[in-house]
Amino acid sequence: MHEKFKRLGFILPRVANKSVDSSVKKEQKVVVDLSDRELVRKCQAGNLEAFQGLVAKYYQRVLMVVLGIVRDRDDAMEVAQEVFYKAYSRIRHFRGRSTFYTWLYRIAVNQCIDFRRRQKREPAESNEGMDEVPDEHGRNPSDVIESAEFLKRLYAAMESLTPEHKAVIVLRAVEGLSYKEISSILGCSEGTVMSRLHYARKRLQEKLAPYL
Amino acid sequence: MTMDCKSVMEILGAWLDGEIGARESEAIRFHLESCASCRAAKLRLERVEESLSAAVKAQASDVSWPQFWSGVERRIREESERRERLWSWLRPGSYLRRLAWAVPLAVVCLLVILLAEQYFFRWRLGPNLSSVAAVESIDGHGFNLALFGEDETNTTLIWLFLDEEEDEPSAEVPVADTTF
Repeated sequence: MHEKFKRLGFILPRVANKSVDSSVKKEQKVVVDLSDRELVRKCQAGNLEAFQGLVAKYYQRVLMVVLGIVRDRDDAMEVAQEVFYKAYSRIRHFRGRSTFYTWLYRIAVNQCIDFRRRQKREPAESNEGMDEVPDEHGRNPSDVIESAEFLKRLYAAMESLTPEHKAVIVLRAVEGLSYKEISSILGCSEGTVMSRLHYARKRLQEKLAPYL
Repeated sequence: MTMDCKSVMEILGAWLDGEIGARESEAIRFHLESCASCRAAKLRLERVEESLSAAVKAQASDVSWPQFWSGVERRIREESERRERLWSWLRPGSYLRRLAWAVPLAVVCLLVILLAEQYFFRWRLGPNLSSVAAVESIDGHGFNLALFGEDETNTTLIWLFLDEEEDEPSAEVPVADTTF
């Protein structure tokens, strides 16, 4: 599949890497944005293959944001797929005033907030998906147990935050977006982003204090 | 510019995010060099965010592309089929075909409703015939009769008009001759 998209000129999912030199990062971003514009234009003309290219490029990043807000893995899959379906059905209304991924993240965050509100109204039977910790092959067993325990506590601490607070911390810590980008996604001021981040971080630190 | 621990803790996160001005940023760096407790706080903050990021990334990378795309494609296909069904229902040709049986059906329904109303329910959908008053008149020889009947109050009025010409003595009636 990846070969197919390389041939079509699509850039594969790029995960924000903090260690990458900033100038290189900037250059990559411009290439990605130009490509996005072209793909969006094709999507608006009804080209499903171009949309497939956009999904291939962003599905992991959207999934990461959704996983950070919606705890259950299966729920997160459903929500992330719904995000792309919504993006597809609304792409004709995308005017390019913001970047495509900002627009996409806005749909993702709104979808997650809606999902959590619905979930609150209709409590789920089981919500243990995020308790599955990632594979930790080749590590000291005591480290694995310790980190598994820590992750469990981390997820529990995340659950104590509102979806809006989760969204800011995920967009910042996982996606590495700037306050300006986050404020554009959430439709609030940079000051609000800063104060929400401060609150979320403080809350997580308090909840995790015995394990840090 | 010097900063105390409390001020540093307030903006430590923003400083790590690179969202603090150069002057404040320098002051925090200077403070961290000399303050072990703020350095520890910085490490705690970094650990929490790195753990969250690593966990979420690991979970997302477990999801394969075909698995993900099939879900998105299914939604798009279902929506497209739904639109197709809606469009075929609204298409002018089939719309007129449907009208062929829809018009008589509507007429029959209307008749059924009106009959049901008249005989069973008395919803008073149509004109209220029971309150209609009727005036009839009968012309007779030398008189006129008019009848007014009103069902609701069970009232009947009768007018009798006598022909005035007949009542008055005719001018042409021969006057008795008194000359005998």
